[in-house]
Amino acid sequence: MNNVTLGKYLPLNSFVHRLDPRTKICVMFVLLVGIFLPCGFIGYGIIGLFLLISVFLSKLSVGYIWKSFKPTLITLAFLLVINIFVIKTGDVLISFWKITIYKDALIQTLYIVVRLLLMIVITTLLTATTKPLDLTLGIEDLLIPFEKLGFRTHDLAMMISLALRFIPTLLEEAQRILKAQASRGVDMENGSFKEKITAILSLIVPLFVSCFQKADDLADAMEARGYIVGAKRVRYKQLKFAWYDFAVLFVSNGLLALLIYIWLSK
Amino acid sequence: MSIRFEKVDHIYSENTPFAYQALSDVDLDISEGKITAVIGATGSGKTTLVQHLNGLLLPSKGIVEVNDVTIRAGEKVKDIKHLRSQVGLVFQFAEYQLFEETLIKDVAFGPQNFGMEVTQAEKLAKEALKTCGISEADFDKSPLELSGGQKRRVAIAGIIAMQPQVLVLDEPTAGLDPQGAKMMMDLFAQLNRQRHITIIIVTHNMEHVLSYCDEVVVMENGKMIMHCDKNKFFENEQYMQKALIDPPVIISFKKLCAEKGVQFSADVLDIKTLADKIAKRCVNE
Repeated sequence: MNNVTLGKYLPLNSFVHRLDPRTKICVMFVLLVGIFLPCGFIGYGIIGLFLLISVFLSKLSVGYIWKSFKPTLITLAFLLVINIFVIKTGDVLISFWKITIYKDALIQTLYIVVRLLLMIVITTLLTATTKPLDLTLGIEDLLIPFEKLGFRTHDLAMMISLALRFIPTLLEEAQRILKAQASRGVDMENGSFKEKITAILSLIVPLFVSCFQKADDLADAMEARGYIVGAKRVRYKQLKFAWYDFAVLFVSNGLLALLIYIWLSK
Repeated sequence: MSIRFEKVDHIYSENTPFAYQALSDVDLDISEGKITAVIGATGSGKTTLVQHLNGLLLPSKGIVEVNDVTIRAGEKVKDIKHLRSQVGLVFQFAEYQLFEETLIKDVAFGPQNFGMEVTQAEKLAKEALKTCGISEADFDKSPLELSGGQKRRVAIAGIIAMQPQVLVLDEPTAGLDPQGAKMMMDLFAQLNRQRHITIIIVTHNMEHVLSYCDEVVVMENGKMIMHCDKNKFFENEQYMQKALIDPPVIISFKKLCAEKGVQFSADVLDIKTLADKIAKRCVNE
């Protein structure tokens, strides 16, 4: 369970780490929109270059990002097989036995691979360089305009930050229970179907019990310190844009404009 | 049942930015049939050390030998289940591991995992529950209906029912009331005496170390810095002061008496013997 890299914050000191979370969230959205514009491989090349520079600036290792991409490889291999059988357009590349592979099948798959790779790099960059709490602050700030429509931004942000706060706690708890049950002879990997069900139950039941207990305790602790749902609140930590935030936003929006231009002039 | 650590290192999350060395170069021989206390400050590696005993953690370097099972760094362990049936490990706040509908089912869960028939396992479970002081009327209750202390005892019964030769306890009395804690410690002493189970206890309670344990292992920053007889440990005043350990009341009392010129021999370690000695001296005067 320690091998989960997706969504883990890496405490480094880099340019990307120092960026305002709102900037990073906005850039993420801009790039995601860019990925779905039909600009072909030129568009992906531009986005890829931008991301390559970002990764370099964030001091993350390529190996780390590769590790978060690896789990999707199986899905992609599956996709390739399906595409080979379904897509029958374009030039014939190879034909052997009863199988013919068309060029479009490979290109389609490659499109999806690149798209997924870019998306994973973007999200990994965001979560690895932004503390979960800063991320929530950023989301909260960006949602403030919706408050006019009766949307309770603060409650949502509180819920998200509590959920984020408890992920490591619950992982730790799960690991502890796993170990305790392993000491009692539970084998999570081997055994018959029925044994496996019992094994999973022996993890989930205690985890649920302690979850509810923790939630109860937390609610009490919050009320004891005067938390009132829906009350008007101010914040200790204020987000501030620096000049480089504007620069990054400018560059990424310029990138989007370029992509739109390429798309329209096609 | 011999337990031996040879040059054991343990590194959590090795080869990642989160790498953390929790044990370094631990050499340790734990005596058979004794009660050994593992002490040390929080984060000194006590829990990491004891989790090597039943293969929950594997050494990053070095060798761990428990009876006929040898665990070498970097090798897959074949008889891990066999090892776990011999070494019962009770976690800190063990009550959180209960999950079955009834106490008896939960306690019988362990023995069944090691291949025992249901009837036999339930027989053992009943015995273990009785040993741990749970009354028979409660056997069919849900674990959720019990108090914290009772739950803890049921969880310990779940390990005892496996009939391990070595019992490892990670702070078994944390969060219990003094009476509950004493009962628990008495239970371990009794298991040690009657069934000759080797017991290893991680604890912060020096009174327990003095009254129940035979040997003391001291951990500091992932290193084992002392392993000796408990009497020797408590005589080492310099270390106790340096490590900010509050000596047990009886040791402090004897020390204060010694400063006033009244000496008691080193083997006087419980209140009753001490009271007898004092009474005798008073009568003589």
